[in-house]
Amino acid sequence: MSINSWISLVVYLLAAPLVGGLLVGWDRRISARMQSRQGPPIFQPFYDVFKLCKKENIVVRRSQNYYVALFLVFVIFTGGLFFAGSDLLLVIFALTLAAIFLVLGAYKASSPFSFIGAERELIQMMAYEPMVLLTAIGMYMVTKSFQVGDIAGYHGVPLVFLLPGIFLGFLYTLEIKFRKSPFDLSSSHHAHQELVRGLTTEFSGRTLAMIEIAHWYELVFLLGWVYLFFASMPILGVAVSLLVFVLVIFVDNVFARLKWQAAIRSAWAVAAVLGFGNILILSLLR
Amino acid sequence: MFGLKQSPWVIHYDASSCNGCDIETLACLTPGFDVERLGVLNTGDPKHADIFLVTGAANEQSHAVIRNIYDQMPEPKVVVAIGACACTGGIFRECYNISGGVDTVIPVDVFVPGCAARPEAIIDGVVQALAALMDRRKAMKALGKNVDQVLYSRAESADAARILSLQKTAHQQEGTIYGEEHVPGLVQTLPALEVELTQRVFIKATVNGRLVGVARGYAQDRTGFISDVIVHPYFHRCGVGRRLLEELEKALPDMNRFEASIGDKCVESAAWLQRQGYELYKTDSWRPAIARVYFQKERK
Repeated sequence: MSINSWISLVVYLLAAPLVGGLLVGWDRRISARMQSRQGPPIFQPFYDVFKLCKKENIVVRRSQNYYVALFLVFVIFTGGLFFAGSDLLLVIFALTLAAIFLVLGAYKASSPFSFIGAERELIQMMAYEPMVLLTAIGMYMVTKSFQVGDIAGYHGVPLVFLLPGIFLGFLYTLEIKFRKSPFDLSSSHHAHQELVRGLTTEFSGRTLAMIEIAHWYELVFLLGWVYLFFASMPILGVAVSLLVFVLVIFVDNVFARLKWQAAIRSAWAVAAVLGFGNILILSLLR
Repeated sequence: MFGLKQSPWVIHYDASSCNGCDIETLACLTPGFDVERLGVLNTGDPKHADIFLVTGAANEQSHAVIRNIYDQMPEPKVVVAIGACACTGGIFRECYNISGGVDTVIPVDVFVPGCAARPEAIIDGVVQALAALMDRRKAMKALGKNVDQVLYSRAESADAARILSLQKTAHQQEGTIYGEEHVPGLVQTLPALEVELTQRVFIKATVNGRLVGVARGYAQDRTGFISDVIVHPYFHRCGVGRRLLEELEKALPDMNRFEASIGDKCVESAAWLQRQGYELYKTDSWRPAIARVYFQKERK
């Protein structure tokens, strides 16, 4: 590893929770404005996490907390690999492993709500995995490397011009990955739904705070991936990443929830048409 | 107290009544009042909530639900009774199925009057509840250093459900060692526990009205058998178990000796029993592949 990748790794580990937390604060604020409300202060996610750390930690089984701790560790590990410029495929597998730990934690709690939440989370993973893999493959076909460092340092036209279909497909998976409407099947930030809080129903106190912090890390990592599509034009890349985040919030506020069948069918259709189609055209042009 | 004051998450339950206060409570979330600007989040999950908003009088049907939601909320927590009915029973007070306000079921910290309570009054109630929440947090921190605030008393048949949920939490370590089906405390059903409550001596330890530990035993041939001493993991190493055992021994007078038995792999429990003055005196096999060790103590 070069000095640069060490620096970006350390910056990610330290800055991601701050940036992620602020982004979530903006999310709640922008959502409120879209609903013509004032909305909470942008530091609200930090207040929430500090408060959760002071609360009692009620568990069904104590082992459920270990799985959540592992979820946090592997999310940080995934983002760390990514920002250190490591292999994109390894990043994808580490991300899947992290998500599996959260699912195991929810299964361990054995309440009907977290149980169905966990099952739906698995379905969501099935829905987004193919498109995420196709994204890595598409990036490889253009840059001839799976290393994030090489892709970020690629000096050609931005990848998005060669991979427009894959970019749109990746945006689709982001909606699923952020658990936003129309794909907030497994757990939602909004109250009064059929699954109580789904995946996170049985977690409280410090464990719930860990899940929140993991989401901040995940958010920064996924927006970093969006940036890769524009890596040769850095300012445009950062601007588009933030725009994509606003788009995700907009879609969250506009759509109602889909059924899981619709979620998986549409996600695979997008992967097949936009993702695979893009790769097919790319290989025919060469 | 950074954070606690800025982020009160509420859970909302309508115990009975006309739904007027219920609608006013939800009106607080709408753009007109928007309590989210104060960090208030309406959550449907008691395990995520800090403030319990109850509207309507408590009736026979809703007693169990109110108590259940309250028990599932993590400390520190506060309760706000919203509207005349929730405060006193209101015009339903004399009804045959109404026990009165919510304070007849769980401890209430803030009362918001009105029929129906106005959204402004409800928001004011939530803000006042924050002060109570801070006090509760301070009391909770003090509790960790001072176990004298724990109340020890005989358990009653009404405690059965709470004892059952406590023992399912407390026996998890044994469950992972021996498999859950081999631990009697994990497979016991509510009716079985209710029968046991009438036959054996139960001593409970409570904090703020919440069950944190239970000891049970029975007398036979001038020997007091200690069947079980359990303490919620959150209150381990505070001396709750020691006091429970002492109270149980007091509750079994005229006994020459006491006897307790545990699984041979429960090393921590064995060490604890020895610290309480119990001595190992025999080992036998209780089920195939599960050995039990027996401890005894003479009364001085």
